[in-house]
Amino acid sequence: MQMRKTIFTTLLLTAIGATAQNPVIRHLYTADPTARVFEGRVYLYPSHDIQPPEGQRQDWFCMEDYHVFSSENLTDWKDHGVIITQNEVPWVQPDSYSMWAPDCVCKDGKYYFYFPAAPKGGRGFGVGVATADHPEGPFTCEATLIKGVSGIDPCVLVDDDGSAYIYWSGMGLRGAKLKGNMKELDGELTTMKMPGAPEGAPAMMVGGQAMEGLPDGFKEGPYAFKRDGWYYLTFPWVRGDTSNGANPTETLAYAMSKSPLGPWDFKGIIMAEHENGCWTNHHSITEYKGQWYLFYHHNDLSPQDDKRRSVCIDKIAFNADGTIQEVKPTLRGVGINKATEKIEIDRLSTASVGVSTEYVDKENPSLGSCVNLPQKGSWMQYNDVDFSGMNNAYLIVSAKADANTEFCVREKSAKGKILARVKMVVVNEQGRFRRDMSGQWMTLTAPLTYIPRGVTDVVLTCEDKAVSIDWVQFKNRETYFTPATASPSTPDEQGFIRRWMLLEPIEKPNPSNVVFVDSYLRDAFSKEYFKGQFTTLPKDGQKVKVEKQTLTWHAVESNRYNVKLFRFADQLDKQVYGVLFWAVTVIDCEEEMQDVRLAVGSNSASMWWLNGEEALLLSGDRRMVEDDGMSPRLTLKKGRNILRGAIINGPGMSDFCVRFLNEKGQPIKNLTINHQ
Amino acid sequence: MKTIIQNIIALALPLWGLGGLSSHAQVGQPYIHDPSTLAECEGKYYTFGTGGGGLISEDGWTWKSGAVRPGGGAAPDVLKINDRYLVIYGATGGGLGGGHSGRILTMWNKTLDPNSPKFKYTDPIEVAASDGMEDSDAIDPGLLLDPTTGRLWVCYGTYFGNIRLIELDPKTGKRVAGNEPLDIAIDCEATDLIYRDGWYYLLGTHGTCCDGVNSTYNIVVGRSRQVTGPYLDNVGRDMFHGGGKMVIAAGDRVCGPGHFGRTIIDEGVEVMSCHYEADFDQGGRSVLGIRPLLWRNGWPVAGDRFKEGTYEIESERRGYALELAVDFVRMKQERQAWFRQEELQKPVVPVENQKLEEVVDTWPKGDIPARIGDYMFRPHQRWSITAVPDAGGYLSNPYYKITIEGTERALAATDKKEVTTVPTFTGADEQLWRIEQLTDGTFRIMPKSIPGKKGINTRYVLYSAGDSTPTLAEWDFHSDNSKWNFRQH
Repeated sequence: MQMRKTIFTTLLLTAIGATAQNPVIRHLYTADPTARVFEGRVYLYPSHDIQPPEGQRQDWFCMEDYHVFSSENLTDWKDHGVIITQNEVPWVQPDSYSMWAPDCVCKDGKYYFYFPAAPKGGRGFGVGVATADHPEGPFTCEATLIKGVSGIDPCVLVDDDGSAYIYWSGMGLRGAKLKGNMKELDGELTTMKMPGAPEGAPAMMVGGQAMEGLPDGFKEGPYAFKRDGWYYLTFPWVRGDTSNGANPTETLAYAMSKSPLGPWDFKGIIMAEHENGCWTNHHSITEYKGQWYLFYHHNDLSPQDDKRRSVCIDKIAFNADGTIQEVKPTLRGVGINKATEKIEIDRLSTASVGVSTEYVDKENPSLGSCVNLPQKGSWMQYNDVDFSGMNNAYLIVSAKADANTEFCVREKSAKGKILARVKMVVVNEQGRFRRDMSGQWMTLTAPLTYIPRGVTDVVLTCEDKAVSIDWVQFKNRETYFTPATASPSTPDEQGFIRRWMLLEPIEKPNPSNVVFVDSYLRDAFSKEYFKGQFTTLPKDGQKVKVEKQTLTWHAVESNRYNVKLFRFADQLDKQVYGVLFWAVTVIDCEEEMQDVRLAVGSNSASMWWLNGEEALLLSGDRRMVEDDGMSPRLTLKKGRNILRGAIINGPGMSDFCVRFLNEKGQPIKNLTINHQ
Repeated sequence: MKTIIQNIIALALPLWGLGGLSSHAQVGQPYIHDPSTLAECEGKYYTFGTGGGGLISEDGWTWKSGAVRPGGGAAPDVLKINDRYLVIYGATGGGLGGGHSGRILTMWNKTLDPNSPKFKYTDPIEVAASDGMEDSDAIDPGLLLDPTTGRLWVCYGTYFGNIRLIELDPKTGKRVAGNEPLDIAIDCEATDLIYRDGWYYLLGTHGTCCDGVNSTYNIVVGRSRQVTGPYLDNVGRDMFHGGGKMVIAAGDRVCGPGHFGRTIIDEGVEVMSCHYEADFDQGGRSVLGIRPLLWRNGWPVAGDRFKEGTYEIESERRGYALELAVDFVRMKQERQAWFRQEELQKPVVPVENQKLEEVVDTWPKGDIPARIGDYMFRPHQRWSITAVPDAGGYLSNPYYKITIEGTERALAATDKKEVTTVPTFTGADEQLWRIEQLTDGTFRIMPKSIPGKKGINTRYVLYSAGDSTPTLAEWDFHSDNSKWNFRQH
């Protein structure tokens, strides 16, 4: 059993999750988050909700241990594993599953972890402390609990002068000064009778004082902190009227004071009741890298069960007078998404009126949600997307619409600069590929016409009819070619010739490649499309006229052994299907080479000429295969040789690979290749 | 003159069989495109195809539609992992409709029998996708559960870009966290991975698809010591450069084989499933094909469908021929004197084969035991092998009767697990023979049933107990006693 536990812990030690959205921890349920900044990282000490094991009340909170998590960027969270588990704490009632909201503070280089639980043989809750040399432990538990703290939800404030105060929830919110050892209350304990305790039950020794100035209504989970000379006492609070038997849920509220234990001046609400009825909320407020954050919980991962909760983070702001601006919980959260991630954009930051979110598939909530932009002008904003490293990028988006429409991805606002415009053809009643994709999810792509720098906010705007969006992603296009340089090149290690002059595609409509029989090709390849087709050596940038088309020659170096004509045309935004390409290159030989063969693979059919003489014809609906066709034995002249090719393609990707082989079938590499 | 008539009869036999018996593909209504690897479930065979649904067969030979797979899309595969079936498919059409954004999904089912109360697919999970812009088309997945590591691999893709390899968790059918796709081939479709004897094989479909009787679809293979490649063909060419060695192409009135799947029946007995873009005998429709899978020098190659005809049945043990245990009837021949000058002047007159009617009356009328002896192309050694209508079949072929040429005398299994011949073929199960080509190119021959034993026989094969003595014994791929050759000579 011990062994199993060890293995479990070891596995968790390696768990690293990345989510830029709320909730931030997804492999466990986590609640009551206390976030602290230690050694430049955010450490998160939540309680750990689990599904109650058999024999435990199924509809109640159930917590048996604590994990600690940390993050450097509030996006990537490392689970350091279990730090304390109920049956290893000397004073905790075994199998009481009562390890509720904890806290952890640092004083003089030592870490003090405070946690409540049901004590052995006692009633209610007590609070204990464990110490460690590092924020993630290992923690050593004190043998006994802190005398005088009977209750739950401990929170400790270490003041600027080193004094420490502990706050907890038990018969209202209470606070007390801690001794220098951080393990005992500083001051007298008083005898109190527990409300509702049976006649004759022993009285309790309670320390500290009740926090004064707070409003009526149920309060728990105190979190105290200090900012700009103000002490803040923040707490979950039921403000609703319970007199008529109603069961209003918790808000997060706060009070301010100039002294650590009050009296307090109640200020109002930090976060309103959860809209879905999740009864509890519990929180902490922390500054990290100049920004203040509210950590809280919600039951987003278990919508049917509000005793299984998950930690969320949103930004929080203060007014000049120190009061706190109310925070609206978002699913967006505060993490930064890399643009290259698949971003569930429905977990939005803010949106125009009328924009809604819903499950992609009501029958299968695990597929997540989408956002509906109901009409032209509707927009939604998603904050903090990192475009670093993006260049020559494109947008991928999963979208659904009932009719052909259009939407844009913009920067920062609904009128912001357009990154990409997506024309969504849902119904196409013309051409070869007729389709009706109305109401069905489609993955669409569009080139980015503008790429933001660094981290920015992305806004989706509906430019026509209603559209729903599930996710977006940005990707860099692969690089297939680089411009040829002036200096000559050589064949690659396998002898493939990568430097070519390529002419933009000539339109040659063919809906299928099966027409490429020899006679068709001889006819197609012998036709003169432009002047000097078989004789002149084109220059980079030179234009030719082919009927109505004006086409440009490009001197390129393929980044691969094969020359991907489809990509050549696609990246020039030219026609990719039903096309004819011309390719020319110049091969310089130091000495004459006899009995060499031109080895070609092409997709689809192609024809090749060396020094004006036909060398090879590859016919048919052909895939590109290395050394597919061979010319008869040829002679490469000393000096300049001109190799010309024409490649024809209907649908599908077009490419070719070319090299020279000697009599033994070995590649010839002692060639110099020019494009001019 | 008689010889000529016999030849005509011999020629006519295959024509008589055109009603489906000598079909070069499976029979029934085996219409499918991109069939998944065959799966066995509770005594039935299943395969799923493009567009949803699939085929069911009781015996592997006769197929009808009826398998159920939701989700539509293209080119599924199926694999039994422990007690569940993992079904993987491309949710989209792969370029159908003009786009190449694809999604590959997996789902589980405890059974493949749509009538079973246990029949329920889990929610599909996406394991791979292509965005339409990249060099990938996320359809046509093929599964491999690596027997050496227990790891689960998927190859997928089409001509639009690269064939990719990803890894799934065999417990969940989900993508292994952090797994990045690896490009392993180009210019293939409907790929599949298999493992054998230290090699990983990547089988891809090349050529032109979906053009009926003009489709040049064919299946090629490369192999690698690592599942991650590089997959090289027989001349060392990388499949990433378009390499591939032919496994199966057109022939025998079927064309366009595609979408490979391997099924191991017994050690040394394997078949490959595919579809033919067109079966000329079934109106040029796309049908399921199952062919013997042979291994030659470490390369897979499809065996031919067994052809009806008259054969020597040669033992692999000694090279002797299966024959009736009857008197050897000597043929008459004048004393040879070719060394004499005057003899050299005479014309050479061919010697005719011994004819059935010259010897048949010397044979007993009742059962005649079988024996193995020197092949002398005599009537008692010449066996006509003919498919039997309505007798069913197995994955590779229909059941055959094996009769002495020109007679109804049929090879039969006895209740003593020996082989004999009966004077007249009655269609009884012990006279029906299952003929399967083995991975080494030889054949095993087994009776459909053994008298007195219940059910269909899948263990006992025609066996050389001695050089001259046939019997029925348990199948053993490692013994030449289990193996036979069919020779026409």
